[in-house]
Formats: sequence, C-alpha cells, structure tokens
Amino acid sequence: MRPWAHMREEPPPTGLGRGWLGGKGWAGVGIIAAFTLMAVFAHGLAHYSPTATFAAWQPPSTAHWLGTDDYGQDVFSQVVYGSRASLVVGGLAGLLSGVIGTAVGLVAGYVRGIGSEILMRFVDLMLVIPALALMIIIGAFLPSVGQGAQILIIGALSWLWMARSIRSQVMSERERGYVAAARIVGLSDGEIMLREVLPNVVPIVIANLVMVITAAILVQASLNFLGIGNPATVSWGSMLSLAFTDDAILQGAWWWIVPPGICIALFAYGFVLLGNDVLDRYARGREG
Amino acid sequence: MRYSARYLAKRVGFALLTIYLAATADFLLPRLMGGNPAQALASSTGLASPATVAAITKQFGLSNPNWGYQYGLYLWQLVHGNLGISYEYYPSPVSTILLRALPYTVALVLSATVISFAVGWTLGMIGAWRRGGWVDQVGVSIAFGFYAVPYFWLAMMLVFVFAFLLGWFPMGHALPSSITGLTPWQWIAGAVRHGILPVTSLVLTSTAGHLLLMRNNMLTVLSDDYMQLARAKGLKPFSLMFRYAARAAMLPSFTGLMLSLGNVVGGAVVTEIVFSYPGIGLATYNAILSHDYPMIQGAFLMLAVAVVAANLLADLIYPLLDPRVTLQ
Repeated sequence: MRPWAHMREEPPPTGLGRGWLGGKGWAGVGIIAAFTLMAVFAHGLAHYSPTATFAAWQPPSTAHWLGTDDYGQDVFSQVVYGSRASLVVGGLAGLLSGVIGTAVGLVAGYVRGIGSEILMRFVDLMLVIPALALMIIIGAFLPSVGQGAQILIIGALSWLWMARSIRSQVMSERERGYVAAARIVGLSDGEIMLREVLPNVVPIVIANLVMVITAAILVQASLNFLGIGNPATVSWGSMLSLAFTDDAILQGAWWWIVPPGICIALFAYGFVLLGNDVLDRYARGREG
Repeated sequence: MRYSARYLAKRVGFALLTIYLAATADFLLPRLMGGNPAQALASSTGLASPATVAAITKQFGLSNPNWGYQYGLYLWQLVHGNLGISYEYYPSPVSTILLRALPYTVALVLSATVISFAVGWTLGMIGAWRRGGWVDQVGVSIAFGFYAVPYFWLAMMLVFVFAFLLGWFPMGHALPSSITGLTPWQWIAGAVRHGILPVTSLVLTSTAGHLLLMRNNMLTVLSDDYMQLARAKGLKPFSLMFRYAARAAMLPSFTGLMLSLGNVVGGAVVTEIVFSYPGIGLATYNAILSHDYPMIQGAFLMLAVAVVAANLLADLIYPLLDPRVTLQ
C-alpha cells in the first residue's frame, strides 16, 4: 500500500480490474481471435495459394468455396490470406495512433499552460482537415506505398479524436483527491501522469484504442481501394478494388464482392463491440 | 441577433489559419516525398525537349530551387485562385476542372449530412427518452453495425442489388446521359434518381455518430434539475421532450455536426468512385491513376477549403441557436 492511500477521498475506479467483460465484449474478443487465427494459420486454412490461377469467373463450388475472380484466383484463399494485411496494418497503425493519442491527451490534459493550449488548437485545426484526403496526397506522392508506409500514414493521422477524448478525461482526473495527495507527497508531474493518472484512465484509453483500430482497418481498406497500397499484397481492400475496376458487379460475381466486405465489417465490428463494452462498464463503474 | 466582434474575429481567424495550414501541407508534402514535378510533367506530356522542361519549370516557378521562393510564389498564386495546370488535361487549369466537380460533391455531402443528422437526432432522442426500449436497442446496434462497414463496399452492394439486380436506380453518374431537351423537372428528377444510392450509402454509414452523440446529450439533459421541475409542473411529455430536453441536447451535437463533415467528405470521395459520380472524389481517383499531381494537390486543397467554409458557416449559425456563445 502506498503511503498516501488513506488520503484518498474515494477508491480510484479500476474499471478493468472489476469483473470480466460482458457478453458483447467477449463476442468482440471472439471475432478478433477468430480472424487472428485465420491470419496465423492462413497456410493451412486456404486450399490454394492466393495467386494460383484456375478458370476465371467461376461461381462457388466444392472446389472453390467462394468461386474465382477474373484472373481465376481462388476467392476463399484470397480472403483467408487477406486477413493478414488488415490485422497487421490495422493493428499496428492503431497502436501507433494509440500511443501518440494517449501521450498527447495525457500531457495536454495534465499540464496547464500556453504549450498545451497551442497543442490542442493544433489538434482542432487538424480535425477540420479531411484526414482521408490528407492521406491520399501523402500516399500519392510517395514513390511506392507498402504496408510499412500505410501503417505510418494511418498511424500518424488517426490520433486526433483520441487525444481530445483522453485530454478531457485527464482534466477531470487531475482535480481528484488522489492527484492532490500524490503532489503533496512530492511526486513529480511525470510520475503522477504515468503512475497515478494513466492507470485511472486505462478504460478510456482502451475504448479509444479499439475505436482507432476500427478506423485504421476501414481506412486501410479505403486506401487500398483507391490504389494507395501495394497491389501485389493480397488484402480485402485490394480485392474489392480489383473487383470494382474489373466489373465484378456487371458480371454478377457476388461471390467476389460480398466476402471481403463482410470480413472487413465483421473484423471492425469485433473491435466496436469490445470498445463499447469497456466504455459501458467504465461509465457504470463511475456512476455506481 | 448581433455577433460580438471577438467571436467573429476568432472564428474567421481559425478558419483562415486552417486553410493556411492545409495549403502549407499541400506545398510541403510533395516536396518532402521527393520527385521533380516539372520533369514529370514534361515527360508525361511527351514533349520532353529541354526547352519544354525549362518553360514548364519556369511556369511552375521551380526555376529557383529555393523552397522559400517557391513557397512565396505558391501562396501568391493561391491567393489569385491559381491551383496550377493539370498534367492529364494539359493545359487546362486545375481550378477550372475542380470547380466544375465541386457542386456534385457539395450536393452529395450536404444532403447526406442533413439526412443522417435528422435520422440520428430523431433516433437518439427517442432512444434516450425510452432508454433501453426497442428503438434504443435496435437503433444503437444497427448504427454500430453500419459504422463498421466500409463506405465503398456498402456503395458497391447498393449498386449490385438496387441498380444491377433490381434495376430500380441507374448504375452510376450524376445525370441522365442525354440532358438536352429535358424540362427542368425532368432534370431534377434525373439528378435525384442518380443521387439516391450515393446519398443512402453515406447516410447509412454516418448516422451512428449523430445518434450516439444526441442520445448521450439527451441522457445528460434528462437528469438535469430543471427537467425535474418541468415534470413537477405537470408539463405534457411531448412538450417536455421537444421544448425542454431536445432543445438543450441539440446544441452540443451541433458542434458534432461540424466535426463530422471531414469524415463525410472522406466517405464521399470513395463513394463517388463507385458511382462514377463526377465530383472531387472521382477527379482525385483519376488523378491518382494518371499521376496528375497538381490535380491531387488542388483537390485536397479544395476539399479542405470547402470543409473549413462549412465549419465557419456553422460557427456563424451557432450563436443564433444559442445566444450565450457570443456573450462569453
């Protein structure tokens, strides 16, 4: 027990430590886990290599569960391997954004002064500029955009909302008794931020992180759809991009259009479910 | 209603600063990513004689390698509405092409925003009023379901089902292929028919945010003391909900409307491509495919300016809804 524990007005809420996730949260975890397994064991799950070619435009059959595209590539194998791109880019870009957003939100919320004021004004300015359009011009001017570049571009531009949300929570935390107590005991601002305030906003951080990952998955798919990505890397977005440019709609090739979209939506929805559950529990913990 | 000078100056200043920031990013990013625009243009026009390169270099103000000089020239050109010359449609100015595309994007974004806002508000209001009721539960889960769906995929599915399979709506474009000889009413009907699917795809994916914001604001307002008082006075539920709760809850979500614009614009960019809708998004997509760099830069700046202008407009409307803002 820390020496100033008795000075607390109230026990600090530990939203996460209290109880398990609810049904929705676990459903989200299940979806994310299923796609992660799919990405890891893609080699065993897929029947063929994602780039092996067969007869083109085949509807689903026992040989090709989800048919083939206009190159004759097996759609099911492509969907399975495509999960890797969403997992890696969505996850890492989300994490990068999460780290930046948490750091900015923590500092701008805890430290008062002209510096953090300017920082938040800058965030407000950036929020107005359409992020996707900004990503497009960066991506379009890069000589080539691989997964690493996608992670950096998405990660560097997706933390703005998160920073605002964490900042406002930190601003109310810093007025709480335990922060005053920590200050009296003589902890430095850096220590208070990292060891006292941060643990108390963890649920908000996680809920935001999950939302940022959702957004990163969707944005990555959009960038691939726009041709800002490596077309040689199989991803759900690049599959849809190809399906669109090669007129899958006019060919009635629903088996090529529906599965990648469902996968993106379901994968993103898994994170939404998890994030909502964490936030709900946190809010309920605060009320009660 | 009169605006206080301070409020006005602050909002206009913020708008100008944002545009300046966007313009500077537009100038810096391509240069940081490398590449010589004049050489690219000269080689892509197929007239790559040294004299052409020199002429184009001069025309684009690249003869002086000093970035400061180029930056000054760039800003000077911008102030005069010059966004450069398109590579693809050389020698048409980028601004001419984009200004022709802008009304389509504005129409799309504006109607989608108004509709999704109205739907989101209504569902959020009812949901909060009967918290946990069926409208609340169904509304929230459907809204989140659509939130996770990629814009362009939803757009493709709408085209597939309602245009390709059922044939209810056209597959793409903004207007009927032959618009000569149409009466104004037929023209409008054609534009609406072409707009329904793109707008629907944007509305479906952007309603969730408004719904949740309104719902949360309503819940906060409903627990306020004055609601208790209004209830004690025996006001009818209808007037409680609309004249008291909804009115107060709407104000903060109006700010949400402004901030969501950037997202809707991003969605519109992708949606336009699916529907071959001739707005800024389609122009950007074609520019990416043909490496038309001035067009990409110009499109970004035009979108940024449009969003900033819409924000400023909303900022100027806000005090009319809530007079307290300008009194601060």
